[in-house]
Amino acid sequence: MMDDRFDDLLRDSAPEYNDPPETPREELWQRIVAAREAERAASKEKTEGADGERSHILPFRRLGRVRPGRPLTWAAGIAAVLALGIGLGRMSVKQPASVAISAPVPSSSAPAPRATGAAYRVATTEHLSQSEAFLTLFRTSVRGKEGNERLASATARQLLATNRLLLDSPAAADARTRLLLQDLELVLAEIAQLSPQPKSRDLQLITEGLEQGGVLSRLRTAVPAGTSATQGAL
Amino acid sequence: MEERELISRVLAGDPSAERALYDAHVDRVFRLAYRMAGDMDRAQDYTQETFIRAFSRLQTFRGDASLSTWLGSIAISVTLNGLRKVRRQNEREVGLDDFTPAGQTRREAEPDLKTRLNQAIDDLPEGYRAVFVMHDVEGYTHEEIGASLGVHPGTSKAQLFRARARLREALADFAKD
Repeated sequence: MMDDRFDDLLRDSAPEYNDPPETPREELWQRIVAAREAERAASKEKTEGADGERSHILPFRRLGRVRPGRPLTWAAGIAAVLALGIGLGRMSVKQPASVAISAPVPSSSAPAPRATGAAYRVATTEHLSQSEAFLTLFRTSVRGKEGNERLASATARQLLATNRLLLDSPAAADARTRLLLQDLELVLAEIAQLSPQPKSRDLQLITEGLEQGGVLSRLRTAVPAGTSATQGAL
Repeated sequence: MEERELISRVLAGDPSAERALYDAHVDRVFRLAYRMAGDMDRAQDYTQETFIRAFSRLQTFRGDASLSTWLGSIAISVTLNGLRKVRRQNEREVGLDDFTPAGQTRREAEPDLKTRLNQAIDDLPEGYRAVFVMHDVEGYTHEEIGASLGVHPGTSKAQLFRARARLREALADFAKD
């Protein structure tokens, strides 16, 4: 089909796709009011008094108080991933990875373009490696129902920031890497947007999305086996 | 009334402000939910869930984006999650009657190009369809889509490009007619 014909077709027909009827405003409002009242009543029964109210405001603390002896699986896991990333970064690059990503500054002893390219590769590999470790941990935690989603969300936001830097850098010049980073961005964004106490079905849907999109397996393929892959790359 | 003032009043528990906020945004939320779901009951469910979540989380709204964009992000998240659940249920319920023998195309059941286009949009991967519907059907900007889906506007553009390419591919045989 000629491109202009196709564009015409889209312009003419796309607005008819699932053309919505008029919004049933009143009906919807009544439903929302009723549902919120039911939710409030259920919440009141559950929390029983002022202490419950306070714990509703601070779910993270409540979590710790209700189950004080619970192992800090998430904290330990995330700390290990971050430590691994920092360690790899120090061993493999002389400058911080973020500097290399955002603004490689030429100097009298400036690295050759080949070295700059290698820096991006190292930064990308580190990021993909950290993301793979994080997502594996996230999936395991969801399956074991032991996650701390607030921490997961915070970590996802950090990874998301790096992911966006890499997407805007020459690291994304390679089509395959760009596609992987874009798909990874969607998954990280979903986790970053998790509420502190997400419904289990939301978590399940994210992990299913991970598996269906093959993001984890593609990450594993993209990350060289063993951490030594990033060492000495420059 | 200014958006910030409206939000303050809702947070203070003013029911008329809640209704005003709902009235200002319900059409846009419902339209998006209906476009994505293609079904009245589901669109109503997703709209309802969107506003329930929005009211319960309004204190977390920081004003980095507009309230409309923030609501859009909740709406699309609720809708995509809902549709994934529906798809999972449908997959479980697929029986032998629904099996299409290999080699039998669906073309004969599709009377015209517009029907075929709608089917092709339905068949797009979830992420592509969301971006396509938001941009090409509902007129969101890439910045709004990026903020709603939590992705970079460049990613939104790339997804839209791929969505259109898929549609072009799906309708390629009509060019020969």
